[in-house]
Amino acid sequence: MYSEKTILKHPWSVRIFHYLLILSFLPLAMTGIILYFKPLSESAVNLAMQVHVVCGVILTIDAIAYLLIGFNRVILFIKRIFTMSVTDVKWFMILGGYPQKLLLRKKVTVPPMGKYNSGQKLFGICVFTGGSVLIFTGWILWAFPHLVPGETVYLLGLLHTISAWILTLFLPVHLFLGIYMFDDFKAMILHGKIPYEEAKETAPLWVEKEIIPISRNQC
Amino acid sequence: MNVTAKTYQKGEIPGVIAINATVCKGCDACKRHCPTGAITGMFGTTHRIDVDLCLSCGQCLINCPFGAPYETSDTVDEVIAKLKDRNNTVVGIIAPAVRVAIGEDFGLPAGSLVTGKLYGSMKKAGFEILDNNFTADLTIMEEGTEFITRARHALFGEKSEHGGEIGPLPQFTSCCPAWVRFVETRYPTLIPHLSSAKSPQQMAGTVAKTYGTNVWKKSPESIYTVGIMPCTAKKLEASRPEFNAAYKYNKKNGRGLTNKPYPDVDTVLTTRDLSRLFKKLKIDLAQEEEVAGGSLLADYTGAGTIFGNTGGVMEAALRTAYAVLTGSELKPLEFKPVRGLQGMKSASVTLKDAKYNKEVTVKVAVVHNMAENIQPVVNEVLAGRSPYHFIEVMNCPGGCINGGGQPVCSSGSSWISAIRPWFAWK
Repeated sequence: MYSEKTILKHPWSVRIFHYLLILSFLPLAMTGIILYFKPLSESAVNLAMQVHVVCGVILTIDAIAYLLIGFNRVILFIKRIFTMSVTDVKWFMILGGYPQKLLLRKKVTVPPMGKYNSGQKLFGICVFTGGSVLIFTGWILWAFPHLVPGETVYLLGLLHTISAWILTLFLPVHLFLGIYMFDDFKAMILHGKIPYEEAKETAPLWVEKEIIPISRNQC
Repeated sequence: MNVTAKTYQKGEIPGVIAINATVCKGCDACKRHCPTGAITGMFGTTHRIDVDLCLSCGQCLINCPFGAPYETSDTVDEVIAKLKDRNNTVVGIIAPAVRVAIGEDFGLPAGSLVTGKLYGSMKKAGFEILDNNFTADLTIMEEGTEFITRARHALFGEKSEHGGEIGPLPQFTSCCPAWVRFVETRYPTLIPHLSSAKSPQQMAGTVAKTYGTNVWKKSPESIYTVGIMPCTAKKLEASRPEFNAAYKYNKKNGRGLTNKPYPDVDTVLTTRDLSRLFKKLKIDLAQEEEVAGGSLLADYTGAGTIFGNTGGVMEAALRTAYAVLTGSELKPLEFKPVRGLQGMKSASVTLKDAKYNKEVTVKVAVVHNMAENIQPVVNEVLAGRSPYHFIEVMNCPGGCINGGGQPVCSSGSSWISAIRPWFAWK
């Protein structure tokens, strides 16, 4: 029997952080690719650089603001993504059952997951560490390269490029799976809530151990 | 050769510095250090150097955080081939600032004075030594005497001994090739203000192929002169076609074996280039014995030594001027107001001209880091409002000591250098 109960998965602070992340990271990725390959005219590449810098500043402000406003959530997020167990290994062995579901139309038993599945945890680790690296190295490369030894600047530049490519290549996967999990997509983009039944299926450990009812009609 | 170059004579190296497009990030750091705005390219795009505006000073090269600029002229292998050819006498002309920088490339602490070890390494490589400090002394005698001539002409109407034209005041120093090119290409009306004295490097080349033929018992044609400089612009200077005074002198005096003009300085290696040469020849400068220069051409005074620092030429010139005008040595010998790293320094010194029995107050100025400090000085001179009589100009911040040809310490002098030994790898 289908319940109409919902769970607040993404509160407003997370959603605003994510909106700004979309607004800043998508242009950053696009302009980053332009800056890497420089396929356009000089003024177009210059414009790409300017957009890259502005979006980098927005991303930095977004990250710092969220760190300050949602400090507990950030800590919890870090704890969640860095907590791995044998279950995660089992999840990765079948890739969360997605290939079977998408390619073979076959449903396989997936190990029970918490709020984030193992793939999301891996993506979270990449976003958290890669994003921090990109922000830090980006600022040095843009504003302070002359204050840092040349060898270090070179290494920071390399780190910036590698991190950027990893996150940029992750982006289409994230977009696809984000939209594929349409209830989660609506929750992140619109109201923050996902159906209880959906959560129970995709994140049973989270529902079982962490979710508490806050009213009869509303969760 | 860049066919579009318009500000070079035939035979000159048209732009010693270029930018590696695959390395450049378009960060604009280089533009802050360029004295002429020769670097083009919008922020984020690959930058280029306009060779006609470029002074070849190499400041972009040593300041680029990504290491994108590089030297287009690399003659290390050519010099090694000359060293191996027993028909040649290869003369190394060592500039003052090289000896306190090259040690860095061999693991010695920054600023180590390694004159003896440098002589030893060069002799091991096969060089004969002509210390550029020796010709810095010659330069300062020329420049100082020329200043006195100009000053006496301006003050007392004294005529030239040789009946030639006497240049105006203020007199500018002329040993920095980047500064000379700056004047020639941007402010040609100021050329008469430049001292007519050649730079120490060019005097050394001439001396090596004239007087040096007696020292080394070789014909001028078999002497191959190598300027070893802290400066990339010296490569351009050596390639100037008018610098073949030794050839002209030898031909005029029946000492020449050939009708083919040869340059006073055959090629120039920067401090970095010399390090590479030593490493290619498996010479570890740090381990070499200290040896003496071996001839009069390696003897020099303290005046020649301080040439590599901002204010050094001026201080040396004032010592000479003082001695010539007053007939006695400046005591104490130091002239400290022109020392230090302030962008522009000025001082005045009152001394008695013994010949005219009159007191003369000489106002001098010292400018370095042209990218930031030269324009007001030039504007004053152009407007005829300059209060100075003698102005020293060096393009690079701090003088030749921080020239574009000096070692680039890629780990910098920051905290990273200090902790690097903790993480020794091989």
